[in-house]
Amino acid sequence: MKRISIDPITRLEGHGKIDIFLDEDGDVADAYFQVPELRGFEQFCIGRQAEEMPLITNRICGVCPEAHHIAASKALDALFAANPPPAAKKVRELLYMAFFITDHTTHFYALGGPDFILGPDAPPAERNILGVIRKVGLDIGRQVIDCRARNHQVIKTIGGRPIHPVAGLPGGWSRPLTSTERDEIVAIARQNIDFARFTLQLFDKIVLGNPAHLEMITGDTYVHRTYSMGLVDADNRMNFYEGTVRVVSPEGEEFLNYHPDDYARHIAERVEPWSYLKYPYLRAVGWQGFTDGKDSGVYTASPLSRLNVADRLATPGAQGEFERFFETLGSKKINGRYQPIHLRLATHWARLVEMLYAAERMLELAEDPEIISPDLRTPPGAVTGRGIGCVEAPRGTLTHHYEADERGVLTKVNLIVGTTNNYAAMSMSIKKAAQQNITAGKIIEEGMLNRIEMAFRLYDPCLSCATHAAVGKMPLIVTVRDPHGATQRIMSRD
Amino acid sequence: MQTVVVGLGNPILSDDGVGIQVAALVRQQLQSEMDIEVITVYAGGLRLMEAIAGYRRAIIIDAMKSGQQPAGSIRVFPLAAASGTRHTFCAHDGDLGTILTLARDLGLAIPQEITIIGIEALEMEIFSEELSPAVRAALPAAVVAVVSALRLSN
Repeated sequence: MKRISIDPITRLEGHGKIDIFLDEDGDVADAYFQVPELRGFEQFCIGRQAEEMPLITNRICGVCPEAHHIAASKALDALFAANPPPAAKKVRELLYMAFFITDHTTHFYALGGPDFILGPDAPPAERNILGVIRKVGLDIGRQVIDCRARNHQVIKTIGGRPIHPVAGLPGGWSRPLTSTERDEIVAIARQNIDFARFTLQLFDKIVLGNPAHLEMITGDTYVHRTYSMGLVDADNRMNFYEGTVRVVSPEGEEFLNYHPDDYARHIAERVEPWSYLKYPYLRAVGWQGFTDGKDSGVYTASPLSRLNVADRLATPGAQGEFERFFETLGSKKINGRYQPIHLRLATHWARLVEMLYAAERMLELAEDPEIISPDLRTPPGAVTGRGIGCVEAPRGTLTHHYEADERGVLTKVNLIVGTTNNYAAMSMSIKKAAQQNITAGKIIEEGMLNRIEMAFRLYDPCLSCATHAAVGKMPLIVTVRDPHGATQRIMSRD
Repeated sequence: MQTVVVGLGNPILSDDGVGIQVAALVRQQLQSEMDIEVITVYAGGLRLMEAIAGYRRAIIIDAMKSGQQPAGSIRVFPLAAASGTRHTFCAHDGDLGTILTLARDLGLAIPQEITIIGIEALEMEIFSEELSPAVRAALPAAVVAVVSALRLSN
């Protein structure tokens, strides 16, 4: 079997590696996405006091420490039987909305944006944030930087220090907000709403208004009819901070709706001999390989899947954009809810709908009179022995699972990070992108590299976190091998 | 503040945390000097740019994996040659060179001079707060390299 390796991937954290296996006719047989495993996280944690986890886990990666901090704090609530007062939950969620806005903003303009704003066939050297800003204008670049700066300030104010918050505690939060700080956050939330609306309009103009880009989104290269996963509240509205895990079928029927504590009953992990990765799937459906459809347990947890599982969104502007999203992409309402969208490139658009939701929710929380309450802590009770904390991270459902002895010393740690949920789906998207550019051993080199990159970037994978690693930039190297594994040709891209 | 010294890396990923540890030692040594700020940063790209914006000069201490030098080797070089270091790149936005060009386009105050102190690492795939022995042994020399670089311009 011929094998093509793309190693590593530009603009992607971690040692991403793609293997494309050709059959005897030179067509794509399979494509797999791999990353090497970093070792020892569980061992690193075992024997420590559980209450250190919000500080330890937010060091796993430099990109989404806030998501780990909040998930860890929630796991400790359960471990120490200390349900936080309502104000503490609101303060945590407020910080979390500021984080979502910076993360989604950065993704759209820096990582996903180049594919759309510049197009898949723009020269690789231009397909970066610099190219985007040179095309859309310096003023927008300044707005991106300003958006990050003001929300980082909010995270610092609420979280107690920049980037890596320290205020999360079992049963609550250590740092109350003053009314002056609250007023500043209200003003920032309003700016965020304006910027999210502006970004949605930009997407309309540059992407939806461009027939070639629209065709790219609605074409079948990146279509996978998988199950969708996301957290929802009691009314089946999307929620990033808390709720139950809802899974809908490819046709949009509710398949599961479970408490995050029960994740192990519903999610199983497939191990493949050629990869360190564990591929999660729905236990009740079963593993049928890297394939979609109702009979395959493959699911996705992403901005797109979160919109797919929600009956509606909880804030007015985002609800309007939610409806426009589904109707523009041709979804019909059945039993009062939109049918799922399976066009994976629409994930970029879904991310912007979420950005507006996060901004509006941030304003709601900041204007809630309770947000400046000093009642932020429930004293810990007896150690329950087990604590599971679950949030929606920007890249998918994030679960922290800790077990501890009666002193609160950790005996087990398991994390399922957002990106992990999407490993199988990512491999499927990469395979389709490769299939369209390799026929009978003939490779459309540039087109294939670009479209494979687009396939995984739409999931915004954070491999540093998924493998608990981080690594620097390396050039893109593609190795084409003959059926015996010998190198035929090496292609590279800086 | 004229100069910023940045310890870059992940403090719980073995030798990846070397930049953070060197920065801590530099901070102790320079505590009386008022025009130098020592900070730690955990991600490259935009976050690193944002951390050094506004300073005249930046010295960035990062783990390096060239595979061409023994662990603990120290290299001092200008940013332009920084492709071999670990964290000057961020997969979620871009490499520091591109991001700095962007920042200049946007009119942000970017240091005129950026020096990288790269320390060759051995182990960066196991969670640990400990450096491997060869890298730990390089800490004093790395501190000297940072301080020399500071003196060179002041």
